[in-house]
Amino acid sequence: MHLPDGIVPVEMALAGYACTAGLVAVALHRIKARPDPQAEIPRVAMLTTVFFAASLVAVPVPPTTVHLMLAGLMGVMLGWFAVPAIMVGLFLQAMLFGHGGLTTLGLNGMILCLPALLAFGLWRQIGGRWPDLAAFGAGAGAVVVAVAIFATIVLTGLPAELDARAERAAVQVFALAHLPLALAEGVIVLVLLRVLRRIEPRLLPHG
Amino acid sequence: MTSHTRLAALAICAAGCFTPLVALSHAALIEAETAQAVRLHAFYDTGEPMSHAQVIIYAPDNPVSAWGQGVTDRDGRLEFVLGPETGRWSFQVRQSGHGAMVHVEVGDDAPVVTATSSAQSWGQRLVMVALVGWGALGTALFALARRKGRDASA
Repeated sequence: MHLPDGIVPVEMALAGYACTAGLVAVALHRIKARPDPQAEIPRVAMLTTVFFAASLVAVPVPPTTVHLMLAGLMGVMLGWFAVPAIMVGLFLQAMLFGHGGLTTLGLNGMILCLPALLAFGLWRQIGGRWPDLAAFGAGAGAVVVAVAIFATIVLTGLPAELDARAERAAVQVFALAHLPLALAEGVIVLVLLRVLRRIEPRLLPHG
Repeated sequence: MTSHTRLAALAICAAGCFTPLVALSHAALIEAETAQAVRLHAFYDTGEPMSHAQVIIYAPDNPVSAWGQGVTDRDGRLEFVLGPETGRWSFQVRQSGHGAMVHVEVGDDAPVVTATSSAQSWGQRLVMVALVGWGALGTALFALARRKGRDASA
């Protein structure tokens, strides 16, 4: 779920860059305020690779195909670090695979960073008390929020010459096709955190 | 038979005789000319066709306003005839926020097609993932080594 170049108006692409720049600045400020930010770098580096490679995992959901996003996993595991990690992953995906455009990098950053931060917030609020519920909710909820942001951007930036009704119908089909992915990502985060709780609790955000 | 009846019968016969001649006077005319056509094939990088995707066409003299529109068929294909303008025609195929743009040079010579992006093989993609993974592993090990060094010196 990446916006390619030329799909949205230039103004929207610039606004996306501005919003993402603000988000990255806030994230870096929060990271800098931590007692030992460098201690997180190995985990961030490895999860950035997982996020980068996940876009290649295509899951056929007729009549379309979806791919893993892992925004919820990034948010739960990395917290504020998820923002720079996702941006690096998106940049590499755009450069190496052509997934998403460079002009739309800011918007794609918003589409995935905001759900990641929401997942982080959910985990922080209820992860200590109900870890399974929080993990599943973070994974599944991040996909739903990302699809909602994506659909809003696409439908807001429709060019006048396009058949808006046909595009709206296509976006609806696309959004429905992501519901199984939301469940799958919820289960992925749930299982991963359960495994970490059992074998290496120190890797957990609440470990 | 009265004179009126004869006249009416004569008129009907005349109409019957001339009607085929009138119909035959609608001659068929054909004008034939050659034109440059473009055949698009749009598909996702998974190989799936972009079925019923919308196509927006931009002429060389006006790359901002659409020159024409179309919709791909079930296989993601669309064929249409271009206008007389020479230069770089642009075609955008899009569906549910996904899409791509292709440019076609049309001139006096045969048109030259330039693709948007070359499709990568799975081998190439796996090499890229391995390279990025290697970079991340290196970063992780570097950070861990620095941390251990700091802990040891402390």
